[in-house]
Amino acid sequence: CGAVVMAQKGARPYDRIGEQVFAKVDKINAELFTLTYGSIVTQLVKDYEDLGEVNTQLEKMGYNIGVRLIEEFLARSNVGRCADFTETAEVVAKVGFKMFLGITANVTDWDAEKKEFSLVLDDNPLTEFVELPESYNKLWYANILCGVIRGALEMVQMKVEATYVKCVLHGHDASEIRVVLKEILTDEIPASMRDE
Amino acid sequence: MGIKVVCASVIGKSNNPLYIRCFDNTEEPLKFHYIVHSALDVVEEKSTAKKGASLDLYLGMLYPTEDYRVYGYTTNSKIKFIIVVQEDGDSHDQAIKNFFRKFHVLYANTVANPFYTPDDLITSRKFNEELEKQVKTV
Repeated sequence: CGAVVMAQKGARPYDRIGEQVFAKVDKINAELFTLTYGSIVTQLVKDYEDLGEVNTQLEKMGYNIGVRLIEEFLARSNVGRCADFTETAEVVAKVGFKMFLGITANVTDWDAEKKEFSLVLDDNPLTEFVELPESYNKLWYANILCGVIRGALEMVQMKVEATYVKCVLHGHDASEIRVVLKEILTDEIPASMRDE
Repeated sequence: MGIKVVCASVIGKSNNPLYIRCFDNTEEPLKFHYIVHSALDVVEEKSTAKKGASLDLYLGMLYPTEDYRVYGYTTNSKIKFIIVVQEDGDSHDQAIKNFFRKFHVLYANTVANPFYTPDDLITSRKFNEELEKQVKTV
């Protein structure tokens, strides 16, 4: 009986780590954050007009944030190396999202080879108060998060693709990002730095 | 309790209507549009009456008609909320004040939407639904 309890605790240490790190970091006003992101998106929509292009730009912005954010994350959270991709997923969902957005995501829908998973977000401070006009069906409003995930994981030697599959702004109950592991990188210079 | 909000409206800075919604299906909406429009004059009067003294946001009863009473509420950004209520007996000032407070919060949330430009017509579905809920629980 004692062993069962131990196993359960061991399985979910990341929730606790997430809470601890979240308590230590600086916070900013949520409305300021939401309105800032909102004005970024509307400005991009005005500038690019094509919603698909806006999605791409948001993802690129997210990528640039992610490659820098990972350092802050590793410094503050003290999380060690992940044994496998499943552990990475848990860390991203419970510690990463908690630390920077104050929310925890849920990891679901693993594929057979454990190379793909879904991140389900019940609420998201970026989308607070937002209502998409009717013609904006193609827009993935919080697509910046997909880029952040891709950028951050690339710096820890994992090449992934993250895409939105469901969004609360489109009427779904929760938002869902699908993360697919493309390859494990071995000591290569990341593409962004190589091209420059 | 005896209060029924039959019409709620949001009026913009230049007295342009941003939102008018009638909850009473028996009456013609145009009648309420007219009532709200005439109420704007009273709002102007009340806003310029007290010189220098700070004005409470809640303007109180603007004027009574045969079956209805009109209440107003203004904000520092010159946005006005005007409601037409049907009430029997004494006026339930506190309930009306509470309603306006929630109405104001609802408006602020709608303006926070980055896809909504202030002074546009309010077409938000969330705003409509929330307002309905609030009207039911006055």
